[in-house]
Amino acid sequence: MDSESSAQPIWRERFDLFSQRLLLVVVVVVIWWLASLSAPHYVLPGPARVWDALRLIAANGDLWNNLAITFWRVGVGFVLAALTGLPLGIFLGANRRAGEFFEPVLPVLNTVSSAIWAIFAIIWFGISNATTIFVVFMTAMPLIITNVWQGTRSVNADFIELAQVLRMPQWKVMTKVYLPTILPYFFSGARLAFGFGWRVSLVAETIGSSSGVGYRLRQAADLIRIDQVFAWTLTLVIMMATIEMAMMKPAENYLFRWKKDPQAQ
Amino acid sequence: MNSAELAPWTPGETQQSAPAIRLVGIEKTFRSGEQTIQVLNNVNLTVAPQAIVGLIGTSGSGKSTLLNIVAGIVRPDRGQVCICGAPSEAFNDWCSVGYMFQEDRLLPWRTAIRNVEFALETGSIPKSERIQRALETLHLVELDGFENAFPYQLSGGMRSRVALARSLVTEPRILLMDEPFSRLDAQTRAVMHDELLRIHRLKGMTILFVTHDVAEATLLADEVAVMSPRPGSIKEIVKIAPPRPRDVTRPDITVYVQRLRELI
Repeated sequence: MDSESSAQPIWRERFDLFSQRLLLVVVVVVIWWLASLSAPHYVLPGPARVWDALRLIAANGDLWNNLAITFWRVGVGFVLAALTGLPLGIFLGANRRAGEFFEPVLPVLNTVSSAIWAIFAIIWFGISNATTIFVVFMTAMPLIITNVWQGTRSVNADFIELAQVLRMPQWKVMTKVYLPTILPYFFSGARLAFGFGWRVSLVAETIGSSSGVGYRLRQAADLIRIDQVFAWTLTLVIMMATIEMAMMKPAENYLFRWKKDPQAQ
Repeated sequence: MNSAELAPWTPGETQQSAPAIRLVGIEKTFRSGEQTIQVLNNVNLTVAPQAIVGLIGTSGSGKSTLLNIVAGIVRPDRGQVCICGAPSEAFNDWCSVGYMFQEDRLLPWRTAIRNVEFALETGSIPKSERIQRALETLHLVELDGFENAFPYQLSGGMRSRVALARSLVTEPRILLMDEPFSRLDAQTRAVMHDELLRIHRLKGMTILFVTHDVAEATLLADEVAVMSPRPGSIKEIVKIAPPRPRDVTRPDITVYVQRLRELI
């Protein structure tokens, strides 16, 4: 693989990127601090206060427990959405008639906002885990189905013909041609779904549960402990950034290393 | 598949001496909605074992359809298809058919060696044997060192070689090629011609190839079958006498090129 664009070793590139990011964080914190000086602490707490609040909830286990609970709920909702979305998306993509028939359903599902799902969930499941899981599921599933559907439709007919000439049985064509074609689409759908799932889980938790990050957020707001609101928000942001950098990006780079990188030309 | 009233397949021919490909009375019509197009009409063709036969004709004369009928992915409406002396339904492992498409059709998410292995994944050949055979075939097409490259990292000519390797790894008795080099530049095409002839000398398979390029046909083939325009049938068969390798600039060769050009 030739690359005339950069002669730097890879560790150097990574270091530069890291220091860039670090600098960005510092800049944001400084702006935040300056802004906080001009507002009372119950409206816009400064970084120091928030840091204290964060340390407190980390020390007494509050942070980890609630984070784990929310994470678990999102995880379950997401896995369920993937397990149902993947086969459904393939079916709708591969079967023209079924696809046409059910096509209007998806945009409708997407329009129903998560708040509405949350209300339904509370009516049906009360204050429980199922509420949050349901909301995550209903948000994530249409996203995954749409993407997998698209991916299935995009399977290259030339490759199918190739498999035919090689006398490959249909199930092998499925696993060796369809699935690898669908994977990139599924991955972007899953990524979106995961991100959305987090956001809506907070909404669901604020009204539909007695634990979790969303619940704590609302509690802190009710008690006008804005420093805690910030602390919990910060927790979420850090967690999402970590997942993205430590899991998503490397997974993407590995799974799709066979793709031509348009930027490298 | 219904057999025609024409020359029947005679049982008892040993598979070794039987023609590699025998087409008798092939007809094919395609229907799409209201339209019916008869693509092939009474095509008769015999290809001897180990021969290289070219198939030329104007666009739409059904060349690719004919090739697909030999490959078994299209069924003729009428006529008989015999591969290595047996009706093509009685497909035997001894007489396998390899196919090389016009585009390389390499799966982009697989490395070169995994792409070649793909052809062996229909049956239940163990992984180690698949790798072994794929490596040998990549060596045959002179792509050592590129086994783990992805298609996007390979040049057009190299991808063509991988596609060729994929069609050869099954050790086919018969190799079908549909304008396999038309997408390559003239130089790479010339290199691939030499490669193909070299491999043919080595392995001795029967080759039936479709091409638009009259010079290419003249360079490679023992015989060239010329198809008439739609509905296609074999108009004439031109035997090319001079031995290979042939120099297309020499007059005793260019006379064939001209003859073929006239016929199309």
